[in-house]
Amino acid sequence: MSPSAQFRRRDFCKAALALPFALRASVPAAKEIPQTVGGLHFGVETFSFHDAPPAGDPQLIPTIIRGMQYAQIPECEIMSGHVEPWSSVATGWWVQTRSAPGFAKMREEARHWRLTVPMDYYVKIRKQFEAAGLRIYYYNINFNETFTDAERDRSFEAAKALGAAGISSSTVLSEARRLVPFCERHQYPVAMHNHNNLVDPDQFATPASFEKALAMSKWFQVTLDCGHFVAGNNDPVAFINRHHDRIANVHLRDRKRNNGPNRPFGHGDTPLREILLTIRDNRYPIRCYIEYEYGSFRPSFEEVKTCMEYCRKIVA
Amino acid sequence: MLAPKLTAAVCVFALAVAVSTAQYEPPQGPKDAGGYRAPTVELEKGRKVFVLSSCHFCHGIDLTQTNMGSADLLHSPVVGADQDGNLIGPVVKAGLPNLQTSMPSFYDLSDQDILYLARYVHYLRQQGRYKELMAADLSAGNADAGKSYFNGSGGCSKCHSPTGDLAGIASRYDAKGLRSKLLMPNGTARREGVTLTAAAQQHLRLLENYDPPDVANVLAYLSQLR
Repeated sequence: MSPSAQFRRRDFCKAALALPFALRASVPAAKEIPQTVGGLHFGVETFSFHDAPPAGDPQLIPTIIRGMQYAQIPECEIMSGHVEPWSSVATGWWVQTRSAPGFAKMREEARHWRLTVPMDYYVKIRKQFEAAGLRIYYYNINFNETFTDAERDRSFEAAKALGAAGISSSTVLSEARRLVPFCERHQYPVAMHNHNNLVDPDQFATPASFEKALAMSKWFQVTLDCGHFVAGNNDPVAFINRHHDRIANVHLRDRKRNNGPNRPFGHGDTPLREILLTIRDNRYPIRCYIEYEYGSFRPSFEEVKTCMEYCRKIVA
Repeated sequence: MLAPKLTAAVCVFALAVAVSTAQYEPPQGPKDAGGYRAPTVELEKGRKVFVLSSCHFCHGIDLTQTNMGSADLLHSPVVGADQDGNLIGPVVKAGLPNLQTSMPSFYDLSDQDILYLARYVHYLRQQGRYKELMAADLSAGNADAGKSYFNGSGGCSKCHSPTGDLAGIASRYDAKGLRSKLLMPNGTARREGVTLTAAAQQHLRLLENYDPPDVANVLAYLSQLR
């Protein structure tokens, strides 16, 4: 072996050994992540981490935590598909998939798991976030008609065990009616999340649909997905000004009007700047959550960071 | 000492050639968040439209996911019947706003974008169906039904003959190789600078739309051609 080859190999070994430390150094220490930016509490909907390991993978939560640290985002709304060992399809979120072969069996297994898993399972997840200096602020679980009452109860208990201050749910008005007594019994808020289906009156998509739910219970809140709201040709700023005391958080994404696509922040029709400044300047207690869903060849944690930087420049 | 080594090397080389010609391995280039790099410039343009329109978040980078209640594009008969975007394009441009979680309207895609996108979706579908059918249990095929399919609805006999180009084919390939050849015959692999013949295009269209029982039956029939 020539001396130069030996040198190169030694250098390579040194570099390989140093790599984990270099990577660790590139991720900011948890304590350095600011809790607010320009007075606003920023967070991320963990759905944004599209390329994270699949449900049930032991590396899933650590990957989300690293992504949050990398983007310097201190809190999250964690979706049930990132907490439970299967995706939301197994718990009946999408109407279209409920008639699929094998769904009933899969759903029953998920139900059994939910009703028997020790609460310590959720506590351990909470502690992983806390150890990294991060917080699960809301638990995103999508209540639907395939839930039993026992599962609804258990979902509230799970959210509390995760340390969440409330539940965010992509649900429908008919399910919201069922949830009223659960919110009252648990003294715990549920925030309704919208999409932009303007045809089905059971869907959350318009100001009127939200207002119907808000009238059902003082425990009901809103997770206003500003991108979907704009795609449904609604005005998110007007809604925020009217209902700021009942909005738990906004989901920040940039969609085009008329059911248009998701776009990188600043390239759609969603008035992200006006939304953020309205919340900041009026000191509304509304948390601002990144939801990355436009197309990109870059890893999701890079795009989440880019989205966060876009918002930071507006409010800092 | 040289002769045995040379013989062994020749044997290994011959084996490698035999394996490489008997089985089609889907190309896998460098990977990014939008999946694997496509094998041709045109398909890569389609991948760009596919990824930047975030199709992969719901349909998967290889069409094997059905997130958000999305359609199963790997098995969709609409996609299977599509020709250069004539069926895919209108759906992509209009979107599906009345779904529980709507499919957005990609109204700003050009006709050229739609063409690239459609061809890439067909490519992904061909890769996916190949993998699926190579892994499927197709052992219960019926040779008589396969012969009927060969001479009838499958249209195989328009180009192939059991006493001509396919004579003795079962002697030339093992079961896995025969299946691979049926699904993706020579000339169907995508490479830059290589234009697919009409026959290759027809085979890829068949691949997208095969029913597993038909494949099992044809394989049972072909396996008799020794």
